[in-house]
Amino acid sequence: MKARKRERRREAKPVRETHIFRLFVAGNESNSSQARRNLARICEEHIKGRHKIEVVDVLKDVSSAHKNRVLVTPTLILIKPLPKVIVLGNLNDTEQVLAALRLNGDER
Amino acid sequence: MATAKRRAQGKNAGGPQKRTKELPKVSTGIAGLDLVLGGGLPAGRVTLLSGGPGSGKSMIGLQCLLQGAADGRPGILVMFEERAAAMRQNAASLGWEMTRLEKKNRLYLMDARLDPEAVISGEFSIKGLLAILDQRIKAMRAKLILIDAADALLHLYDSPLRERRELYALHEWLLDRGLTAIMTVKTVPQEEAPSRYAFLDFMADCVIHVDQRVTAQLTTRRLRVIKYRGSGYGRNEYPFIIDESGINIIPITSSVLQHRPPGPKMSSGQAWLDDLLGGGFKSGTSILLAGTAGAGKTTMACAFARAAGLRGERVLYLNFEESAESMVSNMLSPGLPLQPLIQTGKLAIRSYLPEAMGVEEHLFHALKDLDEIQPQHVIVDAISACKRMGSEQAAFEYLMRVLNVCKERGVTCIYINQTAGLDIVAEISGIGISSIIDTIILLRHLPIGGAVARQLIVMKSRGSKHSEQFHEFRITDRGIDLVKT
Repeated sequence: MKARKRERRREAKPVRETHIFRLFVAGNESNSSQARRNLARICEEHIKGRHKIEVVDVLKDVSSAHKNRVLVTPTLILIKPLPKVIVLGNLNDTEQVLAALRLNGDER
Repeated sequence: MATAKRRAQGKNAGGPQKRTKELPKVSTGIAGLDLVLGGGLPAGRVTLLSGGPGSGKSMIGLQCLLQGAADGRPGILVMFEERAAAMRQNAASLGWEMTRLEKKNRLYLMDARLDPEAVISGEFSIKGLLAILDQRIKAMRAKLILIDAADALLHLYDSPLRERRELYALHEWLLDRGLTAIMTVKTVPQEEAPSRYAFLDFMADCVIHVDQRVTAQLTTRRLRVIKYRGSGYGRNEYPFIIDESGINIIPITSSVLQHRPPGPKMSSGQAWLDDLLGGGFKSGTSILLAGTAGAGKTTMACAFARAAGLRGERVLYLNFEESAESMVSNMLSPGLPLQPLIQTGKLAIRSYLPEAMGVEEHLFHALKDLDEIQPQHVIVDAISACKRMGSEQAAFEYLMRVLNVCKERGVTCIYINQTAGLDIVAEISGIGISSIIDTIILLRHLPIGGAVARQLIVMKSRGSKHSEQFHEFRITDRGIDLVKT
């Protein structure tokens, strides 16, 4: 059911919508820095000019981490387009990240 | 830096000290467990509670946390697996209401279950969780933390190396905050993944393993302390039960036998038997009345109980054979009215069905009765029925523990054992406890001519002279009389 719904939504609004991401990091630890770089690169290559990235440092903004139930860092949340997607980790596996964010195949 | 220093201190504390200062401990809120741990959990250190599913590890952790919170040591509960609602229910089953502690800011529940739909791509750490916890720790000045199902966290990592690294980081984090921590870890049957948790065992200062087994259709829970750095601890397996009053552990078989020396002699209830015993029973000792059915064992025990009651002493009669009412009415025939003693609180008869519960629960009830009644004498009728608590081993454990408690408290312990066959001497030992019994009296039936004669012999009476002959006796409506020959 859910899968079919998801499918329909994708057909209706294929690629034009702006992607809004929220990336939770923990200061400058290496996984967080890698995730930032990886996300920036992926957006640049696949949805150039159609994305917004909000970076939240959980060490500084604990309540936001709490509110979003962010327990591990880095955590990437795709807020729009729906449905919401959560990806944990430094995003080093580009293919996997693209698939999770439904960006594979968009440009091809 | 700070860690290196602390570790050096830790080494000193755990070194070959004999009488040096023990490390600071925090009560677990479970009296029996505190005894086993020599005072409680190591303060400011990590304790690992491992066990299979349903073994009760989370309940033990919960009891420690909630008791601590109630006693003014605020605590945080981090749940990697269970929902908050389920935890509240667990707490309620132990008699706790979490919301009251939460309102007082003494308890904080942190749901740390990860979204099951989250995709994992590459390495990560639990910094987010720790940042949230840090804030809470400061806000409520937390002293305790229970990390429930830490294994669920481990399953997130795809390599043992990363698992270790994260755990190590978590361990350091806990130590740096001076928190007394309890981590529960689900263990799988040993052969499957020993290496995975070997590391955990190494890291924690105290490791407790709990398990649940079914023997002879009765479930028993047991607890064992595997290690405790820098502290002594009870090294046995300790049975425990969980009920609405919380967790009850019965650490009776303590490493030291602290039996009191026997007290003065007292009457057995019959002057002639006192003569045979060289002056009567010694108070605070153990006595075995063994014999065939109908030989007069219960009558003899009741005669003793009555005599003790009339002297103003209290007797606890644990009956596994019949109800209090039927015993009281049966004893009217040999002229032993027990009702007046019950009314004045000198005699308490507690009847239990042996197969109604496991040995731990029986033990728990016996100890509760002992604490409530504070008797000078305890009678167990009959140890042969105790086998129905599960097995011979179960009966042995029960009787040994009851006997030990009695000896520690200087309470006289009278065991009645019903023997079946004619070869009474072989049977009399009664589940292998005879070696620790001080006095053994054997009663038997003997066909003489057309009638049956009752005979009695004192087989053993530690530390006093006694008759070594069979003596004939008769039960009349005025008690038990010696038949003079």
